Amino acid sequence: MTSSTTTKTAAAEVTPRRRRRGHSFTKTDRAVLAGLVGGPTLLHVLLVWIPAFCTVALSFTYWDGIGGLNQIHWVGLKNYQQIFTIYQDFRPAVRNNVLWLGFFALIATPLGVILAYYIDKELKGTKFFQTAFYLPMVLSLAVTGIVWDYIFRTNGFVNSIMGDTSAQTATSWFGDPNKNIWIVLLIASWRHIGYVMLLYLAGMKSVDPSLHEAAAIDGATAWYTFRKVIFPSLRPVNVIIIVITVIDSLRAFDLVYIINRGRNGLQLLGVLVYDNIFGEATRIGWGSALATILFALSIVPIMLYLYQTFKRDN
Amino acid sequence: MSDMITEEGVSRRSVLKGTVAGAGALAVGGLVGAGTASSADAAGVKKVSVGSNNSDPAPRKNDIAWVAAAKTAGFDVKLNIVDHNTFQNQINSYLQGTPDDIFTWFAGYRMQFFAKKGLATSISDVWKKISPNFSAGYKNASTGLDGKQYFIPTTWYPWAIMYRKSVFAAAGVDPKTIVTWADFINACKTFQSKGITPVALGDKGGWEAMGTFDFINFRTNGFKFHMDLTAGRAKWTDPRVQKTFANWATMFPYQNNNVLDLAWDGAAQLVLQKKAAMQVMGAFHASIYTDPADLADLALFAFPEITAAYGREAVEAPIDGYMLSKHASKNLANAKALAEFIASDKFGKAVLKVAPTSLFANNKMPKPTDPFARSQVDLVNGCKYIAQFFDRDSRPDFAGTIFQSALQKFLGGGDPKAIATDLQAQWDALPPA
Repeated sequence: MTSSTTTKTAAAEVTPRRRRRGHSFTKTDRAVLAGLVGGPTLLHVLLVWIPAFCTVALSFTYWDGIGGLNQIHWVGLKNYQQIFTIYQDFRPAVRNNVLWLGFFALIATPLGVILAYYIDKELKGTKFFQTAFYLPMVLSLAVTGIVWDYIFRTNGFVNSIMGDTSAQTATSWFGDPNKNIWIVLLIASWRHIGYVMLLYLAGMKSVDPSLHEAAAIDGATAWYTFRKVIFPSLRPVNVIIIVITVIDSLRAFDLVYIINRGRNGLQLLGVLVYDNIFGEATRIGWGSALATILFALSIVPIMLYLYQTFKRDN
Repeated sequence: MSDMITEEGVSRRSVLKGTVAGAGALAVGGLVGAGTASSADAAGVKKVSVGSNNSDPAPRKNDIAWVAAAKTAGFDVKLNIVDHNTFQNQINSYLQGTPDDIFTWFAGYRMQFFAKKGLATSISDVWKKISPNFSAGYKNASTGLDGKQYFIPTTWYPWAIMYRKSVFAAAGVDPKTIVTWADFINACKTFQSKGITPVALGDKGGWEAMGTFDFINFRTNGFKFHMDLTAGRAKWTDPRVQKTFANWATMFPYQNNNVLDLAWDGAAQLVLQKKAAMQVMGAFHASIYTDPADLADLALFAFPEITAAYGREAVEAPIDGYMLSKHASKNLANAKALAEFIASDKFGKAVLKVAPTSLFANNKMPKPTDPFARSQVDLVNGCKYIAQFFDRDSRPDFAGTIFQSALQKFLGGGDPKAIATDLQAQWDALPPA
């Protein structure tokens, strides 16, 4: 067969033989490869890298988003300098993002893993608990917001139990900037725990039962087996869960936006980006600088972790 | 009222009427096809699309009513009603994309801003035909910085202290006797002693408390200082701003405790349910009253005087209306014809049927007979100056994010000196307008 008359089907038949002979590709192979690799790469560059680059570039400008590119003024590092020094919502937002990350990493995620550990033991009623813990993930955020609003509003469940629902004296859980972030972390964890549990459970089900048996024969307790045998063998799942925890904490947005548009104690970097770029204010440069800061915050811990993990692999 | 609208007074406008309380505020934009028949191709039917932010139940009814009236006048109006906050937040991208021919907006600075940016179509020729329907004040309020008209005013409403007559009567407080700040605080004390929250305030949406700020500021420091402050000619570090905050703080003991967990309608509910005595609110406070008996019990009085020299000479009375987008140039004849319809009393009469207490800019409309509506006209007629509202009198990049956040901080117990210093620093950091 000659390459000039190659059809798709012929190429498919011929390729394995050729490859065995000398790893050289036909023109069709190259075209297919180029298409399969180049297409997604092009899309990736177009949809991810170019916008990301533009965001970073815009963070050095003033622009109200109206009119052409000639309306963009370069201001150097001014946006950053002002965000760090005078923007009143910036510090609470960073604090809340870090708090969120810490709370998820130290409390919510480990709780999810522990739940998975117990549910994996196939105790009585396991199916029920499994469903119950995962249920929050199934509810839409709007429903979540309404449910928790009924619990923590001024004349809601918690205040009723505490015996004071008067608008003038009762505790305002969502309105007090020193309390509301904790309520939000509670709600967010309520969702996150079930998610981590399910992911981890799926991972544990795939662990070779012979590992359990071997550990049991060697006299290890269930908890010791989990810590020293199961947990390390689940490293791929662990990586996923850690990445999810970091990303979910840093991109948190919807819950606080539903509760009070992410203000008054519930500021988050994601909300500030949104308010400044898409809100009526349209400070594109300012918002882009915030987005760049958020990007740096998200990428650093994940890069560090992945680097650590894969270095050990080699 | 319109004669009272001085060039200075009118500069800008109003209010986001509706943060949906509690959950779900996140924008369920909706399209409401308002009974447009498919006879669009019939000869003489003028097709026009209208974008509306009237997503709350009451104003939505108004939209549907006037669109139906427009249909009988030979228009095929495609009405797109979008969640109020979403419309507000996305206005820039909306107007730069493919907006509807005509869209709901407000008189004043933000109208002028879009006109200046070339996102609106001038309707000076329409105004030549419709100007007999409006007094000069409204024409000023509809004029851009280039001297051309860009806006059709439809309705307006004042801000004042809303209360229920029965609650005042039961507590033995006569609103007519509340003139000075001391009178007001005394009345608050009376209500407090009767177990009623004197003043209901909700500022979860961030914008609601701006109304109270505006009143206290121009009552304390005069209208001119207020307008200078909103426009950035006066500084936030001016000691007069501290006086405003200090006066406001004297109200705090008489407010509900969950100010930052209630939207405007949540606070209005407290008044409706007789749990609170008063709310500083726009007249749309009435829109949550569904029972006519309750509505008949609702009344208002002017915000009390603070500095005697300034008396009660100023009021907030935002004007709502419509603008033609840049996109309307593709359908100019029809869009302008509909603008003319909106400026006519046919529009007003259709709205009046479903919202009998509305106040119209059009002077061909009958004087309101409803006592609550009449009290609003009287209130504004007695004033020398009219402000629109903080978020329309100031820069959107200041009012929308920076100032709202600062007010919430103040209401949460923040130090007014630090807040004022921070406000000025953030104002100074804004790009040149």
